[in-house]
Amino acid sequence: MKRRDFIQRALCATASSALFTSFAGKLSLAHAAATSGHQLLGNDYRALVCVYLYGGNDAFNMLVPRSTAEYNQYAAARGGLALPSASLLSLNPSSAPIGGASFGLNPAMPLLRGLFNQTQSPLAIAANVGPLLYPISKAEYEAESVPVPKQLYSHSDQSVTWLQTRADALDRRGWGGRLADMFHTSNTNQQLSMNISIDGENVFQAGDEVVPYFVGEDGAEGIGAVQPWNPERRAAFIALRDAAHGHALQRQYASVMRRSMNNEVMINDALDGESALSTTFPDTRLGRQLRMIARLINVRSPLQMQRQIFYVGLGGFDTHDNQLADQAEQLGELDAALAAFHAATVEMSLANAVTTFTASEFGRTTSVNGDGTDHGWGSHHLIMGGAVNGRRIYGIPPNLTVEGPDDAGWGQIIPTTSVDQYAATIARWYGVPAADMTTVFPNLGRFSTPDLGFMATT
Amino acid sequence: MKILFGRLALATTILAFTSTAWAGDHVFDSGFDDHAEGPHSDAAAARFLTQATFGPSLAEISRLRRIGYNAWLADQAAQPASHERSYMENQQAAGLDVYQNSRQEAWWLHAITGPDQLRQRVAFALSELFVISDQNGDIDGQPIATAAYYDQLTDNAFGNYRSLLEKVTLSPVMGHYLSMFKNRKPDAEENIRPDENYAREIMQLFSVGLVQLNADGSVQMSGGQAVPTYNQDTIRGFAHVFTGWNWANCPLDDGGQWWEWEYCPPGPVDWPNPGWNASWFLPMQAWESYHASAESKQLLNYPGVNLPAGLLAGGGTAASDLGSALDNIFHHPNVGPFIASRLIKRLVTSNPSPAYVGRVAAMFANNGLGVRGDLGATVRAVLMDTEARNLPSLASNGGKLREPLLRQSHLWRAMSASADDGRYREWYSDYYLGQAALRSPTVFNFFLPSYSPPGELYALGLSAPEFQITTDTTIASVANLLDSKTFWAWRGNPWMDPEDVVINLDTELPFANNPVRLIDRYDLLFMNRTMSDSMFNTLVNYVQAMVNNDIDDRRQRVQDAIWLIQTSPEYAIER
Repeated sequence: MKRRDFIQRALCATASSALFTSFAGKLSLAHAAATSGHQLLGNDYRALVCVYLYGGNDAFNMLVPRSTAEYNQYAAARGGLALPSASLLSLNPSSAPIGGASFGLNPAMPLLRGLFNQTQSPLAIAANVGPLLYPISKAEYEAESVPVPKQLYSHSDQSVTWLQTRADALDRRGWGGRLADMFHTSNTNQQLSMNISIDGENVFQAGDEVVPYFVGEDGAEGIGAVQPWNPERRAAFIALRDAAHGHALQRQYASVMRRSMNNEVMINDALDGESALSTTFPDTRLGRQLRMIARLINVRSPLQMQRQIFYVGLGGFDTHDNQLADQAEQLGELDAALAAFHAATVEMSLANAVTTFTASEFGRTTSVNGDGTDHGWGSHHLIMGGAVNGRRIYGIPPNLTVEGPDDAGWGQIIPTTSVDQYAATIARWYGVPAADMTTVFPNLGRFSTPDLGFMATT
Repeated sequence: MKILFGRLALATTILAFTSTAWAGDHVFDSGFDDHAEGPHSDAAAARFLTQATFGPSLAEISRLRRIGYNAWLADQAAQPASHERSYMENQQAAGLDVYQNSRQEAWWLHAITGPDQLRQRVAFALSELFVISDQNGDIDGQPIATAAYYDQLTDNAFGNYRSLLEKVTLSPVMGHYLSMFKNRKPDAEENIRPDENYAREIMQLFSVGLVQLNADGSVQMSGGQAVPTYNQDTIRGFAHVFTGWNWANCPLDDGGQWWEWEYCPPGPVDWPNPGWNASWFLPMQAWESYHASAESKQLLNYPGVNLPAGLLAGGGTAASDLGSALDNIFHHPNVGPFIASRLIKRLVTSNPSPAYVGRVAAMFANNGLGVRGDLGATVRAVLMDTEARNLPSLASNGGKLREPLLRQSHLWRAMSASADDGRYREWYSDYYLGQAALRSPTVFNFFLPSYSPPGELYALGLSAPEFQITTDTTIASVANLLDSKTFWAWRGNPWMDPEDVVINLDTELPFANNPVRLIDRYDLLFMNRTMSDSMFNTLVNYVQAMVNNDIDDRRQRVQDAIWLIQTSPEYAIER
């Protein structure tokens, strides 16, 4: 197996440049350049990176109050899972968040703490974000007088709701997909999807017109047996692939195969010609994924991409058990990988053009089930990049008191900011005109602050 | 035969076969006393075996035609289960270190060579429903207990759903995966309340699902929205039910002290005392002092529910509450259509008609003898339904994308793959295929039953679950995996080691001289004769143009034919 791999990869590497020149790449790029609708000017480039934390990150143990009154509320709710106050990495915001409390980060996150506290900080925190249909108080929740998103607290449904960012929609289209539907004609290259995932299928990037493209941590995978050294077999393979198929699933399979083969040549050829970044990434799942994104951004010019949306994922946040140890490991991986990615954008002089943000289906209960926590609702999130107005905590930090005003029951914290507001703030920076905002986020008008202010205005 | 001659007319330039060469592979299409229930053709037999086994072989096609569906199903029902646990324990006894690798070996061994094919295939489908995964750290460290969990699915593949649901619930492996193990009653002082994980997933994924279903599996709507099956109160009710379960046979006996609950080991204390891990193989045991007995518990409420408004009164024991709760789930009207549609999607088609789901669900509700939950009868109803047995037209979009594991098992069964010592060291299928038994990334399996990719399928309202793991990367890596298994891993290749699993092409080489016969043979074996004339001619012309001077050339012809078929869209979508 290993020998075979080596041979195949060696063959792919030598074959792909020839292939690129011969048919797949430049012709279609030239064609795309001639027909593309909106040309962007100069070196304008913008990318979003969605970092999905699978399982529901317990952000109430990621961002923890340090001021006495708020810490005591936290400690009373968290019992054995409460982090000692002295262990928290203190944050030094440029202005106090609403409520005036002071906060610290989980001790596993020293690098992000450094980014938050620096001047010209590229890191902001949005407090207590979650899917909502309307603003809702505890009294309204208990009286069921204001509707809430369907199937709250379910992994699969809340991740869809989060990434659709229109909690009452029945489709599975995400806001990254809707942005791409709007912006993809900006790219000179119309062959490669504007939306690239390093972590496979996801709702966030699915649009009506734009279908996300998936690559691996090491680049795109080619099909060894149909490289140009065997043109007859390649021709037979393509004839079978491109025949007029009478079955919709056959057409789908053929279409994924075609896309995979065309893009593999284009991407690997571009990566082969990359001048390597000097930033080193941690050799972790998330580190390797973000490294591939940095490399793809690094070759944006040969790929002729001006607008891109990326998706990566990290699993293991569903900490029903053994939370203190497990979450520290996960947050440590997040900390090191995000910091490295930011350094890479700085190295490319693109820090202002790339915005990275976290998403996760829900926060977790402030109450404890022994040594873990269960599915909650609202949660804190991170936004990182040169265009982020960093060193601040936006939104309204929740009251963590057991059975307090933000507790829907059992420590499921009612969000004080909707994911619509969170996403819209990022989308506005990305370039969605004010007039189109309600097309992308139809429920945005229900919330009094449509822009949370954590992104630069240009 | 008729179609074949039509194709021969199309391929007139390559009429190279001799009449004697026909003997052998077409004998089954004539001279048989058909069984009334079928199969009435080799193609029908191959198609059935694609749904009911890990892949047809010519020998099994022949046997099925000889004995008929009824005798074949009766024989399979009587086959004893091939067990993974005993395979691994034998390895251990032989002095091998046993990890999850060994479990994957056992899975492949049974998929390729197990006489209990239907049982194994249904167990695999159940493993994608009652999901646990060795991607979880606790479970990764217990490979033999993971195998025992799978064996439980195999043993109960034709048993009763209610009984299997209880075995799954009390399995300490599931207990660790969805944290019912050591789940405890509330403690207001410590702000501790019961863990909701198992309560939520047993309903959402194992039994009733999130929304109310009609008897044919269609969703009940109200005001444009699906009607939910339960709410957060129900989840809390079940979370309270599922408290108080810990290792069986705790060897500590300190008079009911809290440290017994906390520190009880899974077997005799002194490692490596034989049996020190024995409780991993026993149902979890109730510890009443940690069970939330006092509280009344809101369970599922539905027409005809046994408990008043679905409310279970306080005062029960851990075991009595568990029994009441599982009964409450079992009798919910959703369970039949829920299980029916999942089994149909794993075995037959991604988009069954509501009538098909309804017929299978009716069998689940009553097997004809008044018994609810008979999985053997349900599986038979899935396979013998007219919608399963009749070849769907192309335009109807019936059938499904083959799972990656089933594409490899198909090749290996069709080509009698083995290693010299009979082991199947196929340890990391997930690396290339994105899939390996009990190795899903989450409890939601490798793909959701309702998944529909953006584009045409979504617009048509078609689900196609397996496309969720058919990414631009895996579509290529699966093709490359089949490449190495076809062009590289064949018996006789001097580059292979004796422990490598290799396909046997000796039986195939004689057909290489006659491309029409070769492709026809594989049309039956791989595609139950659904290959289009256009695909048939493309392949025949391609093979015909390949050089044919010696045995290496003939082998190359066979390999190219197999690989091109197995990576084609027509093959990938099983009809």
